[in-house]
Amino acid sequence: MSHAPLASLSSVRKRFGKIAALDGLDLSVERGELLALLGPNGAGKSTAISLLLGLQRPDEGSATLFGQDPQQVEARRRIGIMMQEVALSPVMRPREFLTQIASYYPTPYEVQAVIKRLGLEPIADRTYKDLSGGQKRLAQFGMAIIGRPELLFLDEPSVGLDTNARAALWRVLRDLVHEGCSIVLTTHYLEEAEALADRVAVLAHGRLVAGGTVDEIRAHVSRKTITCRSSLANGDMKAWPEVLQMSEESGRQSFVTLDAEALLRRLLHADANVRDIEVKRAGLAEAFAEITSANQSEVKS
Amino acid sequence: MNANVNVSQMGSGRLLAAYLGDIRFEFVKMLRTPAFALPTLLFPAMFYLLFGVLMGSVKGNAGQALYSLATLSVFGTMAPGLFGFGVSLAFEREYGLLVFKQALPMPPGAYLVARMSMAMIFASIISLLLIVLATSAGHVPLTFVQGAQIYLINVLGVLPFCALGLCVGAFVSGQAAPAIVNVIYLPMAFLSGLWVPLQFLPQLVQQFAPAWPAFHLAQLSLHALGMDSVGTLGSHVASLAGVTIVFFSIAMRRLSNGGLRMFGGATGARSRFPLQRLLARAIFFAGFGLIIAGVMGGSVKIAAVDAGGPVGAPAPQTAVIANFEDGTAKASYGLGWNDADDKTQGGDSSAAIRVIPDGAESSTGALEVTGTVRETAQHPFAGTAFWPKGSTDEGAFLDYSNKHTLKFFARGDGRQYTVVFLVGRKSGGIPPMFSFTAEAEWQEVRVELDTLAGMDLKRVRAILIGTRSPAGGFRFALDNVRLE
Repeated sequence: MSHAPLASLSSVRKRFGKIAALDGLDLSVERGELLALLGPNGAGKSTAISLLLGLQRPDEGSATLFGQDPQQVEARRRIGIMMQEVALSPVMRPREFLTQIASYYPTPYEVQAVIKRLGLEPIADRTYKDLSGGQKRLAQFGMAIIGRPELLFLDEPSVGLDTNARAALWRVLRDLVHEGCSIVLTTHYLEEAEALADRVAVLAHGRLVAGGTVDEIRAHVSRKTITCRSSLANGDMKAWPEVLQMSEESGRQSFVTLDAEALLRRLLHADANVRDIEVKRAGLAEAFAEITSANQSEVKS
Repeated sequence: MNANVNVSQMGSGRLLAAYLGDIRFEFVKMLRTPAFALPTLLFPAMFYLLFGVLMGSVKGNAGQALYSLATLSVFGTMAPGLFGFGVSLAFEREYGLLVFKQALPMPPGAYLVARMSMAMIFASIISLLLIVLATSAGHVPLTFVQGAQIYLINVLGVLPFCALGLCVGAFVSGQAAPAIVNVIYLPMAFLSGLWVPLQFLPQLVQQFAPAWPAFHLAQLSLHALGMDSVGTLGSHVASLAGVTIVFFSIAMRRLSNGGLRMFGGATGARSRFPLQRLLARAIFFAGFGLIIAGVMGGSVKIAAVDAGGPVGAPAPQTAVIANFEDGTAKASYGLGWNDADDKTQGGDSSAAIRVIPDGAESSTGALEVTGTVRETAQHPFAGTAFWPKGSTDEGAFLDYSNKHTLKFFARGDGRQYTVVFLVGRKSGGIPPMFSFTAEAEWQEVRVELDTLAGMDLKRVRAILIGTRSPAGGFRFALDNVRLE
């Protein structure tokens, strides 16, 4: 029982008309981890989340939340939710929303404690319509955690937040994980996943195309970036077979390559005066681009 | 069963608090939405002051104040359900709030319960407001039981309109909802006779009236106030229940097809049970049956309302009824003026008459009426009565259709007095009435007969002049009573 995932999708298929939103997806969330769900628009992230929340039912396969049907209210009493596009009542106040949502949970946090933890004091008693976009998101984040959830679903939580607010949000997320809360996060900000995630799941076309720790995902990717200062003509270097992409910025060339060793050998051989050489492994952004584009071409062929 | 289940149990106290919290939240939200709260709460009261009080007092027509209380409280009852469900649901469905609420562990049905309760709270405020206006500004002699009945009818009467609103909100967009709701609300109010009594509307409108739930609710209210109502009580209740069931079912079906489960639980699996589907269908058709029963029960009576049986004998040409100059209470025809009270209605009020010397317009005789009103009968009354046909029998009518105005002089203790006409064959129900105040000096009172609600000039049994609630002693005098 203790090893059962908090939430899982197994061999789930879901179609909307002719489009297969999920095409045999397996996904599970373990206790105490932060799972980042990545993928381009239309990859099936939202569908996967709404199946886990019980908002929809899979056509095939099964979705469970704490071992139960997600449509059981008992299962949902253990989760917190922050959605992307929700128009909350403009005339109500954050404190009132928090109080209302807290009442749905068996052992919620004190409303005042959440307000304090998120620094919502200045806005807690202002009407919702008078809040900025970032303040609204922060209030919604409060609503997600008020129920003392064991599992938190966050859909693009830092959209619209300024740098400080985002840093504060990340700090709270790390604390929550530290306290034993599990988090499923969808994000467009790859640095967010890099900074926070224990595990990343990359979705494309309704399937899991890569999964693992941030490092594991990066290791999937053979792309490396080499930067240097060379006096050779850019046109010549760009024509080298190892170079996938090349750019130049303030006298510094940058190459993307699949075979860094071969390119380095050629570079050193061609330009004895080359300086400032740097080799970098791809970030999650590059990894993500490669995984999804590879998957795309695979699908096309 | 296992540890997982235990941590997510909610005690019934916490669950109840969640429902109550949602009701409070919804109510506060609506109060802070002036575009909803102001017209919903104030229009019925405003219309009441206009139709019931102002126009009623211009005509001196006590029936108008009573009729308007019945119909405008229905008008007030329609709005919270129609708008609260119709417009808000449409918006929340369109802008993702409904999905969010559904993902939250909101207790089953809390969304509906909160809104329904909000509508009921609004309806109860509106109906209390109207009752206060009616008894104060409108001088309507409402008994506690009648007030309580009107209140209950209004509060429960929100249900069919909640169902209608739910249906609108389940189908149309947030942008279109206010217009659609108004297109239902205002015409239905008119076609159900809430502003203008049905008998003044075209025959076709009268015939279709039993199709509208507002008509049935208004008839229940009229009945509770003891006024003329058409259709049987059963048909009204049937129709209202039917509308509630049918529109609620349609709305639930539509919402669940859109993936919205208003009662929580796993409906996707539930509806696969053929028995349950069959039951849902049976309830739906039963609802339809009830609506049709309501239409039948309502329309049968509406045709019969005008058939009042044989008319009375033509009234004498003379306009004078009594001037009390000969020192007696005799009238120029019919039985003379007699004391009248509520003892046959189970009351305990009393009245005595005597002729006194100093009359109006320097005449030498007037009729003085004294007595005490005690509030034991449902409609307390004490005063004097004139039986024009010379008999107090049921069918002893005089046909006054060639007369238009009752005039007399009155003075008294400043209390409010009422002219009551006993017309037609029916017993019970509130008769045509006219209220006036008897001041210390002689003043002429004129009653335009054509304007009194429920008047049947062809069948007049008696003209009563006296006083009703509140309890207490009274003294007034009459002189020069004429019908011209």
